[in-house]
Amino acid sequence: MILILIFFFALFVVQALPNQQTVDYPSFKLVIVGDGGTGKTTFVKRHLTGEFEKKYEPTIGVEVHPLDFFTNCGKIRFYCWDTAGQEKFGGLRDGYYIHGQCAIIMFDVTARLTYKNVPTWHRDLCRVCENIPIVLCGNKVDVKNRQVKAKQVTFHRKKNLQYYEISAKSNYNFEKPFLYLARKLAGDPNLHFVESPALAPPEVHIDLAAQQQHEAELAAAASQPLPDDDDDAFE
Amino acid sequence: MAIDAKADPEPHCREDDDNAPAAAAADDEDTGAQVAPIVKLEEVAVTTGEEDEDPILDLKAKLYRFDKEGNQWKERGVGNVKLLKHKVNGKVRLVMRQSKTLKICANHFVIPTMTVQEHSGNDKSCVWHAADFADGNLKEEMFCIRFASVENCKTFMETVQEVAESQGKKEENKDATVTADLLDKLSVGESKSDGKEDTVVASDTKEAVKDEAKTEEDKKDEAASKA
Repeated sequence: MILILIFFFALFVVQALPNQQTVDYPSFKLVIVGDGGTGKTTFVKRHLTGEFEKKYEPTIGVEVHPLDFFTNCGKIRFYCWDTAGQEKFGGLRDGYYIHGQCAIIMFDVTARLTYKNVPTWHRDLCRVCENIPIVLCGNKVDVKNRQVKAKQVTFHRKKNLQYYEISAKSNYNFEKPFLYLARKLAGDPNLHFVESPALAPPEVHIDLAAQQQHEAELAAAASQPLPDDDDDAFE
Repeated sequence: MAIDAKADPEPHCREDDDNAPAAAAADDEDTGAQVAPIVKLEEVAVTTGEEDEDPILDLKAKLYRFDKEGNQWKERGVGNVKLLKHKVNGKVRLVMRQSKTLKICANHFVIPTMTVQEHSGNDKSCVWHAADFADGNLKEEMFCIRFASVENCKTFMETVQEVAESQGKKEENKDATVTADLLDKLSVGESKSDGKEDTVVASDTKEAVKDEAKTEEDKKDEAASKA
């Protein structure tokens, strides 16, 4: 039994290491938990690349992503431990929570069961991580037919969590969980995001052949539809 | 030429926050437990990196990058796209930041070879290619940008085109300056040398001018092949 545990522990250390190189600015381990399909991975990806992934691919075990923010108190980094929500892919489960310094518990406002399971996620998390700042996130608030109304969300008041309604799809409040956690971790309620420095790009010259190739590729790309052409954010 | 954010008809540009639920007002209420901070951070001076530039265009937009593998456009960010002109060297770059996190989603020069094409399915969008430096690494990207209105898209396309052309002219001028400098040297050479050698010096310098132009071209090719 102990051998198996060691084996798993080694596995998760190896998995976590590639993105865990130390940086010369403050970094925090952020654990993200919640039922499968609530949008944990999509939320993290949205922050990493800007894209919104519609396709559902369950996370196996855990994926660790470094996520940097620029604040008026300098650059900070969250190592986002994006854990599997689905039980069958859970891997080490609360083994991933060790040394967590802050957390996000996510549920889906269009699926009541995911909110009902929040207390379980919270309990498991608090067993491993005591007294860390935790944000409860009700995701997918862009969907018209909600099953969990804002008024019905009360768990955070009982357990002293911060609550945000978010939408990874529309970006509604998508920066708030990170801002809240950064403020708590630094004990500074006035901390805010600032412009990251736009460094001067290196000089680039394009020769005619490359330019022609780019134009051909562009013409092909220009005929592909935009992913959210139907949304009305700009209309 | 200068177009600023005020020219952008704001009423058309609705924030992503439009789907804001009724409970939004409670967002700023802190219901979290008191926890001890784990770091002490000092306020630092903020540099945008844009201090030596003037914006010549600033419009709200949504940016996409083309994923070649998946043959599809993927969102990059929503925010303001700016064309920034350097106060000293006159170079213009395109910089765009995500509106809420203020992170950079595009950062590259508008170079003479840059052309912006229409997106065939959406008349508020256009596409271009760039060697982008958003994350501090030079990366070949195809971008698509969508504006609130057809007019804004047109303004963007026209401004970029104008800038690209003027940057091209500037490079020609730079080449001309190099030639002029060499010709200056030529006249100095003439005054110092006596009559017979004059012709030799002159033809040598002409060769030098040609060589100079050639090396300039070579350099360009080299840089391009590296890129």
